[in-house]
Amino acid sequence: MRNRLGIRFLLLTLAAVFVLTATVITLVAQQGQANTPAAGQGSGGGRGRGAGAPNPLLSQPAPRLPDGTVNLGRVPGELGIWQLPYIQNMGSRQYVVGAPPAPARGDGAGRGRGAGGGGQIGGGEGGGPGGGQRGGAPSEPWVPFQPWAAAVYNYNSLNNSKYDPEGYCLPPGGPRLYATPYPMEIIQQPELKRIIMIFEGGTHVWREIHMDGRQHPKSETIKGETWLGHSVGHWEGDTLVVDIVGFNEGTWVDYYGHPHTTQLHVVEKFTRPNKGTLHYEAMFDDPGAYTKPWSVAWDIPWNATGELQEYICQENNAYLNRLTDDFGQPVISNR
Amino acid sequence: MKSRVLAVLVAVMALSASAVPVFAHHSFAAEFDTAKPVNLTGVVTKVEWMNPHTYFYVDVKDPQSGKVTNWACEMGSPNGLTRQGWTRNTLKVGMVVSLEGTRAKDNTYRANARNVTVDGKKLGAASSEGVTP
Repeated sequence: MRNRLGIRFLLLTLAAVFVLTATVITLVAQQGQANTPAAGQGSGGGRGRGAGAPNPLLSQPAPRLPDGTVNLGRVPGELGIWQLPYIQNMGSRQYVVGAPPAPARGDGAGRGRGAGGGGQIGGGEGGGPGGGQRGGAPSEPWVPFQPWAAAVYNYNSLNNSKYDPEGYCLPPGGPRLYATPYPMEIIQQPELKRIIMIFEGGTHVWREIHMDGRQHPKSETIKGETWLGHSVGHWEGDTLVVDIVGFNEGTWVDYYGHPHTTQLHVVEKFTRPNKGTLHYEAMFDDPGAYTKPWSVAWDIPWNATGELQEYICQENNAYLNRLTDDFGQPVISNR
Repeated sequence: MKSRVLAVLVAVMALSASAVPVFAHHSFAAEFDTAKPVNLTGVVTKVEWMNPHTYFYVDVKDPQSGKVTNWACEMGSPNGLTRQGWTRNTLKVGMVVSLEGTRAKDNTYRANARNVTVDGKKLGAASSEGVTP
């Protein structure tokens, strides 16, 4: 508890500092380039095939269920999983819908693979898992942060996401489910008017999307807010549209640490433009943290030979036992 | 000529694909220091096939002083290692292995292994580490 209060205090202090310095930093940060390759969608795309060989699945139409609905999952007699990409920063221009393209010769400073940890915001959007500077909110002028959300995001950038809930083996919620790089399966049950999605990682979670036309529960009847929220879906042609509300504030939008509040409302669109691709789009509408809605989109490749495996993150999370707060105290008390 | 260029391209793509962190769990940069790359060779003393990270321990002998230090080495989770071809027989107590990785920020004898060489074969460690200098 003492540690939590300490972190809160530090957050507020940092918020004040960042609001003051943000304008200066913006100029430096705008030289940033898009994410490093490590942060991009490279994982999984070439898995199980010769890299570079054309993927025949990309020229095959999406399969369909007997009733004609697009099949977002397996075909009888075949294996296959969606190989979710590792997207660390959804605020990167390559994922934000409508973000301006990168300047033609914009690399340089923004690659951000320096020895790192220098305690500065402004290195651009770069910085893979290996460390280096991260640009923070000033490097993402297309993300409509409220000032406090920008400050929290900068704080998470400065400490290299050390408090990321996924590091605690807590689940991703909302679109981050599709940016955490473990396989996922979609199981459609039209006869039961629901769709189930099973996620190997994050924390081995599943998600139910109600397709029976029900409404979201009234907010006061939601039993608290939940990690994954309440999902209702419907088809618009070949697009599965899902509406989610009722999130708690335990999750981050992404690994880089974009925050959200319980006011978060997400609208997702799933399409399968061909057998080998799931196209994912999500709109974040959170008047508690952002000044207007913003959207992200990416493709998810199909691994035709893949199967889900077990992954129980909580088994031996040594990271958490070693994690110390900003005052050097253990985050988890050893008693 | 064209096919040779293609072959090189394919090789480069394959390499860069394998450099992509396959599985992610915690903040790499919060725990390890990319400015401290390590190359270790030693005898395996223990293997823990556990989530979210597999650990193995190696006795590394300093060639000058002869002093032996036991290093804890972190890899990816068992599901990630399985997908990269690992089995429980790949790494066993008593084997001599080499690894390339990154040392912990706190200077303890811990490292994130980027790859492990066993019986002359270099294997990816399915770890959260991307590319280090």
